[in-house]
Amino acid sequence: MAQNATDLLVGASTDFLQHFSPFNGMEPEALAYLARHAVLAFHPRGSELLTPAMGEPRHLFIVQRGKILARQTGPTAVTEYTAITLGPGECFPIGAISAHRPSTNAYVAVDDSFCFQIGADEFHELVRMSPVFHRFCTQYIATLLNQSRQQLQASFSQRAAEQQTMTTPLGQLIGKEAAWVTPDTSTRAALEMMNERHVGSMVVADDDRRPIGILTRSDLLPRIVLPGFDLTRPIAEVMTANPHQLPASASAYDAALAMATHGISHLLVVDNDDRLRGIVSERDLFSLQRTSLRQIRAGIDSAQDIATLQRASGDIRQLALNLIAQGVGAEQLTQFISALNDALTRRVIALALEHHELYGIDFAWFAFGSEGRHEQTLSTDQDNGIVWQCPELRDAEPIRIRLIDFAREVNEGLAACGFPLCKGNIMASNPELCLTLEQWKNRFAAWINEPDPQALLNASIFFDFRVLHGNERLGHQLRRSLNKMTRANPNFLRLMASNALKAPPPLGRIRDFVLEEDGTIDLKKSGARLFVDAARIFALRIGIESSSTVERLRQSVSKSGVSADEVAAMVDGFHFIQMLRLRSQHLESEDGTTRDNRIDPDTLNELDRRILKEAFRQARKLQLRLKLDYQL
Amino acid sequence: MTAGWLSRLVSRRGGERGELDRRVIDKLAAWKSLPAGRLDLPAFDARYVVVNTEASGLDLERDRLLAVGALAIESGVISPQQAWYATLQHAPEAALADLLTFIGNSPVVVFNAPFNRRMLLRAFDETVGFEPDLFWLDLYYLLPALFPERRRDPVRLADWMESFDIETFQRHHGLGDGWAIAQLFLTVQARATGRGAATARGLGDVEHAYREFRRKS
Repeated sequence: MAQNATDLLVGASTDFLQHFSPFNGMEPEALAYLARHAVLAFHPRGSELLTPAMGEPRHLFIVQRGKILARQTGPTAVTEYTAITLGPGECFPIGAISAHRPSTNAYVAVDDSFCFQIGADEFHELVRMSPVFHRFCTQYIATLLNQSRQQLQASFSQRAAEQQTMTTPLGQLIGKEAAWVTPDTSTRAALEMMNERHVGSMVVADDDRRPIGILTRSDLLPRIVLPGFDLTRPIAEVMTANPHQLPASASAYDAALAMATHGISHLLVVDNDDRLRGIVSERDLFSLQRTSLRQIRAGIDSAQDIATLQRASGDIRQLALNLIAQGVGAEQLTQFISALNDALTRRVIALALEHHELYGIDFAWFAFGSEGRHEQTLSTDQDNGIVWQCPELRDAEPIRIRLIDFAREVNEGLAACGFPLCKGNIMASNPELCLTLEQWKNRFAAWINEPDPQALLNASIFFDFRVLHGNERLGHQLRRSLNKMTRANPNFLRLMASNALKAPPPLGRIRDFVLEEDGTIDLKKSGARLFVDAARIFALRIGIESSSTVERLRQSVSKSGVSADEVAAMVDGFHFIQMLRLRSQHLESEDGTTRDNRIDPDTLNELDRRILKEAFRQARKLQLRLKLDYQL
Repeated sequence: MTAGWLSRLVSRRGGERGELDRRVIDKLAAWKSLPAGRLDLPAFDARYVVVNTEASGLDLERDRLLAVGALAIESGVISPQQAWYATLQHAPEAALADLLTFIGNSPVVVFNAPFNRRMLLRAFDETVGFEPDLFWLDLYYLLPALFPERRRDPVRLADWMESFDIETFQRHHGLGDGWAIAQLFLTVQARATGRGAATARGLGDVEHAYREFRRKS
């Protein structure tokens, strides 16, 4: 009898829930479980359902009727909104109940409201049994994590809120309209216009305002004055053709990166139809910044000796610190550092090439490890090597000796520029790492076929190779051959996975974190590496070309069973840990001590601690994935 | 005393309708032996049972009880696990004994007590031979007593449902209307808590005062 009545009420709750996402897409058993356990309670207008002071939430609430206001409390705002209203079908507090921590919001009924509620244990059971609900919660938490990170960056910046950040769209940065002329305009007319308008550059565009060239003040001396260029001739003859341009929606960061990458000081901003919107100059981007990106880049490119590059290296560091303070995200920041360090390394190589006759030798310079993954932080020693091909009918050894001589000079140059020599001798000047393509392939094959612990360790460093200078094709060939070999040897990947699982995320059952003996967490060993190792295995299994952890994770979305939302949450977690590493290195460099990626969680504020915990949970999810995939 | 009641029950009913099932007798006896329910518990500690009848019509003399729905409200929440519904066509004794077991010694909440209460008590008397002594609360009076800003006078269930925007899965069904009444009772509990009257006795006093007030005016 009672069963019959229960069924009627469960049916009523089910009908209600089916009107709303994610419940309408939920598996029937999971929905039935939810409806069977959901109890209904009333909350009169003005009453508090949940506040941070109530501690860990004991229920998940689903609004049945009425309105609930979620309001930020406490000194640190976590989400981008300060208050939002929840209506029928919406549930809360997903983040807090998932993470077993007090809610950061206060939830108050603004109307007389009825809410279904289930207990925290039932919530976790539901997450376990329903992939749909799990995905919904993951996505929700990922959004929260993302918002928290933005908040963190904002609070980290010591500058006023009104200061432009690197995420500002270019559309907002461009001021007055750019001066432009058509390509048939006489050079004199164009220069007169520049003079009248007091502008440093002149855009050349077609009748539809689509840019085709640019002339800047710095071009005047070399191209017009000194050669005695005839000013009656059209400007098209002296302009720089195909100027670099970015859409108005691109960020200041994108522009800065483009300027650094191409070594230019002006960028054209265009609309969706490629029509000129304006010009962004380096000065616009870094008007307040002491160290300018292009200055560094120009300094690197024109450096004639190591001493100049040493200064540039110091500038890169200074710039990175400024960018951290400006709230640039870890991903962009590491790309930035990576781009400038690449330029620096290439310049060191170019300087060394002046003293070494390598003409006709087909070779490429490899970056390994974090440099290979584009994930350098501020204190990274050098990991590099050389791949080359021996021309037919020539003796290999004399060539190898010449390459090693050259590599030694590069290694020493890099050391002088602040990239310490690698303690493990993972450097191109090591004869063991100056190998022909065939030798590299054989070496990789040996590790894959006999995966002893040393082989697995080697794989984690060398499989993240990337070509920094020289013949890119050699890198592609090695990557293709590596991916083929690993796919043919599933046992190797299984061992790599089992090896990766030896370092669990430092999450405690009783305390928040499991600490090392000195009371710290090693953010590299117990944090970033967990993501890096798992991503490498995905990449090798699926055959992803990229060596970057984030790229590997993202590309594994479409090819493996992981959902895009889950990956986004993992990527956020990885970035947060990288951000903490950069930040702690920043603090180190200010007080002169090095702590080698270690962080004492007690020194973090509540918000950081929370997000760090969340990030470690993402690492745990990745590891769980490996466990399932390889039945470990 | 229990023994006397039982023997009377068995002997009187025995000749007319056959002896009551042993299990029914056990249930009735178990219910009889319950301690008196407490009427002084705050809402979050208390258990109430909303009872709602389904009759063949509204005429107490001619119409008969067809079905009963009941929902327990424990700690201020309605749980689908705590619900009961039965029709009385077959084995009404077993159904009513079951209902009494479900109610236990909790206060009973109805909408329009005169009708529901009479229907129920008469059915008890006719089938199991006694009228259980229960503590009754009537939302028909409690709602206007506590929500005068909405309605000053007693009105129909449909009016209160509209006022609170409460819907149910099936109207005029014992459990369907019972579910709406249970939700209304939650609002009554919340309002009474604000007035310091959230115990069963407190609610009873509010109801009593309201009815006295209406009789005098």
